[in-house]
Amino acid sequence: MKFKGKSWVVPDDIDTDQIYHGQYLPVTDPHEMAKYALTFTPGKENFPNEVSEGDILVTGKNFGCGSSREHAVICLQYNGVSCIVGESFSRIFYRNAVNLGYPVLECPGITKMVTEGDEIEVDLDSGLVKNLRTGKTITGVPLSDVEAEISNAGGLLEYLKTH
Amino acid sequence: MPGKTIAEKIFSRAAGRDVFPLERVWLDVDLAVVRDFGGPNVVLEYDQQFGNACPAHPDKIAMTFDYQAPAKVTKVAENQRICREFAAKHNVESVYDVQNGIGQHVLLEQGRVLPGEVIVGTDSHMNLLGAVNAFATGCGTTDLTAAWKTGKLWFKCPPTLKIIVNGSFDSPTSAKDMTLFLMNKIGADIANYRAVEFHGEAIDNLDLAGRLTLASHMTELNIKIPFFSHSPSVHSWLEERAGRKIEPIEADADAAYEGVLEYTVEGLRPVVAAPHYPTNVLPAGAEGIVGQKINSGFIGSCSNGRIEDFREGAEILKKAGGKVHPDVRLIVTPSTREVALQMLHEGLYDIYMKAGAMVTNPGCSLCTIGHHGVLAKGDVLISTSNRNFEGKLGRGADIYLGSPAVVAASSAKGVIIDPSTL
Repeated sequence: MKFKGKSWVVPDDIDTDQIYHGQYLPVTDPHEMAKYALTFTPGKENFPNEVSEGDILVTGKNFGCGSSREHAVICLQYNGVSCIVGESFSRIFYRNAVNLGYPVLECPGITKMVTEGDEIEVDLDSGLVKNLRTGKTITGVPLSDVEAEISNAGGLLEYLKTH
Repeated sequence: MPGKTIAEKIFSRAAGRDVFPLERVWLDVDLAVVRDFGGPNVVLEYDQQFGNACPAHPDKIAMTFDYQAPAKVTKVAENQRICREFAAKHNVESVYDVQNGIGQHVLLEQGRVLPGEVIVGTDSHMNLLGAVNAFATGCGTTDLTAAWKTGKLWFKCPPTLKIIVNGSFDSPTSAKDMTLFLMNKIGADIANYRAVEFHGEAIDNLDLAGRLTLASHMTELNIKIPFFSHSPSVHSWLEERAGRKIEPIEADADAAYEGVLEYTVEGLRPVVAAPHYPTNVLPAGAEGIVGQKINSGFIGSCSNGRIEDFREGAEILKKAGGKVHPDVRLIVTPSTREVALQMLHEGLYDIYMKAGAMVTNPGCSLCTIGHHGVLAKGDVLISTSNRNFEGKLGRGADIYLGSPAVVAASSAKGVIIDPSTL
């Protein structure tokens, strides 16, 4: 799977309250969840209004730390963010993304080679990321093992239909 | 072949074969828990995917309503209702409704959590149950939906780090101070995806309340599960609650660890975690910390909601004059009804209420923004909970984390102080 899009960049340690604030936890409709994506991340308060389908989120270390709320993945997914490439992911967020079949790529060093707004290309299978503005490339750590099977099937519940 | 760590033992038992670190396996789930946060999402997903099909093991499902107990907005009341309806429809008996308290604590008191069990739940702090050597982990909606339907879930067996903590400290320094100190030393990187086993003099001396405090904070270090050296007193308490003899679980003497970390807490003084990270830990008496004005205090949460925590807070509150500072709003929340009743019995309600604190019904309270105690811009809270990320309880409000003693002393004085200077 390959994606190409405009990048958004957030720093280290963005926690789940900043991605999807606790006051919106009662929401059960994913389309409504999308309205609150990143609204408590400093500098990204207007993200749901500014993001376009196909944009890519680039993050620092420990993205998604904090709560187990799946809303944090869903709100980004339903804004059309095609994938997330991060220095590292907090483990529950990463697992939730895998279970939802939502593409995430761990890529140490990524924040050093992307400036917000750069058009980037991401190959999830090989882990190769290319900055189309600078021409520089970097390789991340693609999913492997059962995580890859689950994600490629479209998520855990899809995977269980045939396993 | 080397011996097994606690994680490897639990995984091997639950998979029915030897399991090694980094292997992916499907494990039988002993208990799949939802809260009123996450629970409705699971119910709706389950209904959509599986219709009226019965869950694999209704007796291995539990619901604990603690996020907004009782409901204050219609949507949450409806969320709680659909969970109750699902439970009734599928014969799920273990519904611990809004009057009970924090899910993990209620389950422990009810004897529903045993060493060596595999437990999942829609709460990132499920892994505080590692305090009794259960493998418990926070999961999202999809995981719980799958666990309810099939009774199993996929896991990656974590490698284990051994963490040895030596030394001792005097009151009012407590397990919370040790916890925050270790948070700062370990950080959120090196133990990512690991199981950790805590050993050493300082750990052996921890009672259940202290183990719960330490275990509850490990989530923030991305630790998959913390385990602890065997404690005969914690073990007998568990056996009493379960109503039967239980096999303890310990690592083999020749278990292979990925690494060993060693720390000392000898002579540790009270500390706080300053805004905006739980690892941003400094002495309570440090320049820039001591004297910081506060206007909100909280004693409670899954980290510090046991009777021991409220005794500590009450003792220090009395020592600091017995009255909450006029500019401070102090909220006190027992973790469970059982703890609340014990507080009443010990005269602690008297102490807190006469001091001017607001003692609320058991639950997660202002650990999340879901219930009460929301902050305004400019507010400064000192809290015994476990997260202080920016904006958590309201934009423009700062959160410090500290022990019940630090919170009580600071709430009495109106500024952060080191309770050992009282």
